[in-house]
Amino acid sequence: MSVTRRQFLRTTGLGVAVGALGGCAAAMQGDFAPKTGKRVVVIGGGWGGATAAKYVRLADPSIDVILFEPNKEFVSCPFSNLVLSGVRTIDSVTMSYSGLRRHGVRVIHEEVGSIDPAAHRVRVGEGWLLYDKLIVSPGVEFQYEHIEGLRESGDRVLHAWKAGPQTVALENQLHSMPDGGVFVMSVPPVAYRCPPGPYERACQVAWYLKTKKPRAKLIVLDANPNVVSKTALFRKAWEAYPNLEYRGSNKVTKVDPGAKTVTTELGDTVKYDVVNVIPPQRAGTIAVDADLVGADKRWCEVNHVTYESVKHKDIHVIGDSTTGLPVPKSGNIANAMGKIAAAVVTATLNGRPAPEMAPGNTCYSWVSDREAIAVVNAYKIDNGKVVQIEQKLSPAQSTAMAQHAIGWSVSIWNDVLS
Amino acid sequence: MPILVLALLLLLAAAPAGAGPLDHPGYAKAFSCSACHGFAGNSQSSTMPILAGMNAAYLEKALRDYASGKRVSPEMEPYSKMAIQLGAAEVAAYFAAQTKQPTPVASDAAAVVRGRVASQACVVCHGPSGKGDLSKGVPDLTGQPADYLRSQMLLFKADRRSPGDDALKALKALMKSIPDDQFTDLAAYYSSLR
Repeated sequence: MSVTRRQFLRTTGLGVAVGALGGCAAAMQGDFAPKTGKRVVVIGGGWGGATAAKYVRLADPSIDVILFEPNKEFVSCPFSNLVLSGVRTIDSVTMSYSGLRRHGVRVIHEEVGSIDPAAHRVRVGEGWLLYDKLIVSPGVEFQYEHIEGLRESGDRVLHAWKAGPQTVALENQLHSMPDGGVFVMSVPPVAYRCPPGPYERACQVAWYLKTKKPRAKLIVLDANPNVVSKTALFRKAWEAYPNLEYRGSNKVTKVDPGAKTVTTELGDTVKYDVVNVIPPQRAGTIAVDADLVGADKRWCEVNHVTYESVKHKDIHVIGDSTTGLPVPKSGNIANAMGKIAAAVVTATLNGRPAPEMAPGNTCYSWVSDREAIAVVNAYKIDNGKVVQIEQKLSPAQSTAMAQHAIGWSVSIWNDVLS
Repeated sequence: MPILVLALLLLLAAAPAGAGPLDHPGYAKAFSCSACHGFAGNSQSSTMPILAGMNAAYLEKALRDYASGKRVSPEMEPYSKMAIQLGAAEVAAYFAAQTKQPTPVASDAAAVVRGRVASQACVVCHGPSGKGDLSKGVPDLTGQPADYLRSQMLLFKADRRSPGDDALKALKALMKSIPDDQFTDLAAYYSSLR
């Protein structure tokens, strides 16, 4: 994606304030986008935030919608495990924000510094702007401090749990690992982004090794006692991967990139050639700083119908950073929450009753280069709370499910961004 | 002309603030559907059917058949239960009221030509235009994604869609007489029709 400065100014409509300053945060000063009508500000352009921004505009184009997202492009976490195995390219999961701009969303590639709930304003760089409703969709942040040596390891120990440069870097490490080498990956304790994601990743790494480096092996160190999601289906899929060694209740507590070892809570030291540590997680930093997280200091509690924060009025939190709903931290759920929150916010700003909607979840995992499995969850609102109606698993892995997965990805990427 | 413009402007000014998609009772109820079936039911993918403009009775029957397991789908069973919980009639009415945009996924030209030749047997029920006959519950096939049409023909052939449904006996007998390869051609042809 390339957006010229002129296009940026035209689409953001920020005129002189930003124009003179080139869209640079350090130069954003004062009220850099004076509010003239109803306005919704969205923090985070992932699955939840991008969807919410688009759907507010769809429901009421008179509302000014400003989306803050530091990344210039949207990189999908779903399907990014296939980049590690070389089945997909990073380009195939990378998309532009131009579709949102066509809906009239003002996309600004800056990080929001802080939120002032009382004054209804967000600070960006040295400037600020006002909102009527704020939708916060910051995703997850890693708790590096829970694993000794992890923060100091920098890029030598990758998480690749936010799709992007780390995904490509880990792909390169995997592909250049010698045959006969050991790939070690760690799974954090629940709750974390994408419950089946680590196990899909294990399938993709094992499939790649089996195909390209038959003497190499994969060791999965899981902080949880067993596979967290689609357990039987993953266990079945792993029968095809004798090169995959799974160790439950093996929480990684230390990593030493010099010695190329990880240490578990049990005191075992495991040597690696390539390591992938998926750290424990909490809500994105802005949510923590803005006092949107609960007593656990990790996740944000929200009203199940409106997604309004239980702590601050007119701030709605969606996606992976929420807690309390019986739903997984998935892209599909974030997309559903984005639509519901957009409808609630739009209705409220127009003095109408807000719809009562529960999200739904469709989740595919690729267990090889051509077969996938699925889990689907349907929910309803019962006495103001989200409760599950049903969960259904695919009966087995199949190429048909993989085709459905591809169809789902095309559709939902469009739903989020186009 | 200026008077018309003025009248239109007055009408717009008189419209209630925020009048839009939220006014349709099925709009928000269809949120979960759009992740796979596209905004307003205009699917962009080759495997998910387009729901926009679909006959409401046909779609409501599909939801009930998925919920009861007569049509087997691990994805659609939970979602159809959700739609029924929210009000299947409203969800179906919402999609029926949307304008259908034919699939953006292009069909292979040679397959379309072969499919047209092979379609003679289908015309009896679906008509020369492929638009079906709603009074007999025969659906409009035109512009639907080819992979979806092909998958449904294979399900009919294997008697895995609505097994035991008398109304589908003749259709299934016909499907059994068609070699699998030809389903690709038939699907391409009907997908290409507008």
